[in-house]
Amino acid sequence: MFALKVARRYLTSNPAQTVLLVTGVALGVTVFIFITALIEGLAVRLTDEVTANSAHVSLEPATRLAEILPGDPAVRTEGVALVSTFQRRQIRAWRSTAELITRQPGISALSPQISGNAFLVKGEAVQPVSVTGLEPEGLDAITPITPNLVAGQGALGADGLLIGTQLAEDLGLTAGQPVLLRTDRGGERLLTVRGVFKTGLQSLDSRVAFLSLQTARPLFDLPEGVTNIEIKLDDPGRAREVADFLAGATGLRATPWQDKNLNLEDALEAQGRTGTLIQIFSLISIIIGVASALVLSAYRRRSEVGIMRAFGISGGFIVAVFMLQGLLIGLAGGLLGCVSGYGLCSFLASLTDAEGNAPLPIAPERGGYVAVLILTTIGAVLASAFPARSASRIDPLEAIQQ
Amino acid sequence: MSRVLQARGIVMTFRNGDEETEVLRGVDVELATGELVALVGASGSGKSTLLSILGLLLRPTAGEIEIAGQRVEGMSERARAAFRNQRLGFVFQFHHLLPDFTAMENVAFPAAAPAGGITPDMRRRALSLLDRVGLADRADFPATRLSGGQKQRVAIARALMNKPDLIIADEPTGNLDLRSAGQVLDLMGEVNREDGGTFLICTHDEHVAARCDRRIQLVDGRVQPQDEGSDHPD
Ligand SMILES: Nc1ncnc2c1ncn2[C@@H]1O[C@H](COP(=O)(O)OP(=O)(O)OP(=O)(O)O)[C@@H](O)[C@H]1O
Ligand SMILES: [Mg+2]
Repeated sequence: MFALKVARRYLTSNPAQTVLLVTGVALGVTVFIFITALIEGLAVRLTDEVTANSAHVSLEPATRLAEILPGDPAVRTEGVALVSTFQRRQIRAWRSTAELITRQPGISALSPQISGNAFLVKGEAVQPVSVTGLEPEGLDAITPITPNLVAGQGALGADGLLIGTQLAEDLGLTAGQPVLLRTDRGGERLLTVRGVFKTGLQSLDSRVAFLSLQTARPLFDLPEGVTNIEIKLDDPGRAREVADFLAGATGLRATPWQDKNLNLEDALEAQGRTGTLIQIFSLISIIIGVASALVLSAYRRRSEVGIMRAFGISGGFIVAVFMLQGLLIGLAGGLLGCVSGYGLCSFLASLTDAEGNAPLPIAPERGGYVAVLILTTIGAVLASAFPARSASRIDPLEAIQQ
Repeated sequence: MSRVLQARGIVMTFRNGDEETEVLRGVDVELATGELVALVGASGSGKSTLLSILGLLLRPTAGEIEIAGQRVEGMSERARAAFRNQRLGFVFQFHHLLPDFTAMENVAFPAAAPAGGITPDMRRRALSLLDRVGLADRADFPATRLSGGQKQRVAIARALMNKPDLIIADEPTGNLDLRSAGQVLDLMGEVNREDGGTFLICTHDEHVAARCDRRIQLVDGRVQPQDEGSDHPD
């Protein structure tokens, strides 16, 4: 295509200016990629921290509401909802439910649990705890406990109990010592602290006690059912989707991890908005840069373009010449920016502090490369539209008479 | 003898706000195929304006123009551009070569741009035209590295590229030294004689005018009757 040849020739005829222009575009693209990789990396790190230690979807019995007569739709029904208290809330058919869940793709782990509140009593010291009764072989399914043991071991046995370091400290307990557990259902039993764990999560280390499902049954007066089923997914990002599906399939209330961490979601969204703003500004600066360079170039080449028009070369050809310049600049700057952006992000991601942690949670593979390349190219072509149009309208007489 | 150009009653009035300048007041021009005609007249008499109109670069206020058997008044801008490209050649006082292209590319440009590339045929024609203007050895020179006279000769070759019916030249030697001007003039004479190209050359140079078949003199926006006026003084 001849217009492409002319566009290339125009760009190479002033290499210094073209290099500067392409570098400018590449810088904008680098900023875009850096911000994208940083925001994405931050989201991944925060999400990982949350999802690594908690369930991705939690299943509980749906709240039973007392029947409400249909009335004035303007009246908020929550105002008159009554929670039915006639039946114990539990998942009776948990075995078949668990089976159904395991058959779904993307489920990595599942843990039926009996959760309840209790007090740990040692001498005169009393501490409230959240008790989680689970199958001993699934101890680490949702929260990695065994790897985080600082004392004792993870075998729960018939009367075993695992508690966090903070709780152990508060009660003056160490592995191997007995402690009395008194549940809110009135159950009471002397158990043995088998191990002490330290996850680094305040809520776990100070308030949670693990014991086996069988031990929990009589204590919480649940001979067959469980109170909740916790699920881990291969991809935590699909939690909402999976929760919706499971809620429909089981009739239970399914809560994705995001709903239990609304603060995190808000924070991620705010971060995302900031990132989008910076991305938009870097694209705008690219477009302004390309547009102003091409406006200048079209101005400098007025007489040349005018002479082409005198020779009857079509306005379309001239538009093509300038828009192709925009395209080439956008592509070159975009590609160069992708390379330098990836280089910068990889370098920053490889930095480690004294403890071997990355100070910047950058995800170099999540720089939005394809998106920025496409956006930059489209932006540069759009930016060239105005100068191209004005060049194509140059009056040949003007060029000749000067 | 067939006619290349027939223009009748060309009127050109420039309006600048309330001010009106009547530059051409009814000009008739006829050119036969193969003629070499000089357009002369005092500075400001409207020569360039007339050439622009005949070259379809400017629309007259009134008048009829027929070039190569085609009436041009009703044509759209697009059609006029295509017509210029196919039927007309231009040579200006300043060469207006494209500085980023070689001599050969400059010559081929008017054919290459509409076609989407320089075909081997175009290259051959461009090279033979450069040979014609005595610049075969400069074909691959960038336009910027040619002398003023050489540039103007390349410009002539470019004007001939699409085998135009009419070549319009506005002071083609006005910017050249005597020797280069002579060469350019020789060249146009040669093309005229050997290839039968029709030329309308606007000039201030008596040498140029003298070598043309005839001259059209513009005075006060009208064509001065020429008929042997000098031989029969009143
Ligand atoms: N766009 C315009 N608007 C107003 N007046 C114009 C315009 N173009 C040309 N003129 C006027 O028309 C007249 C003729 O101009 P033109 O350029 O045709 O003269 P010329 O014969 O070519 O002169 P020269 O020999 O100096 O080149 C001049 O008085 C000029 O000022
Ligand atoms: Mg003039």
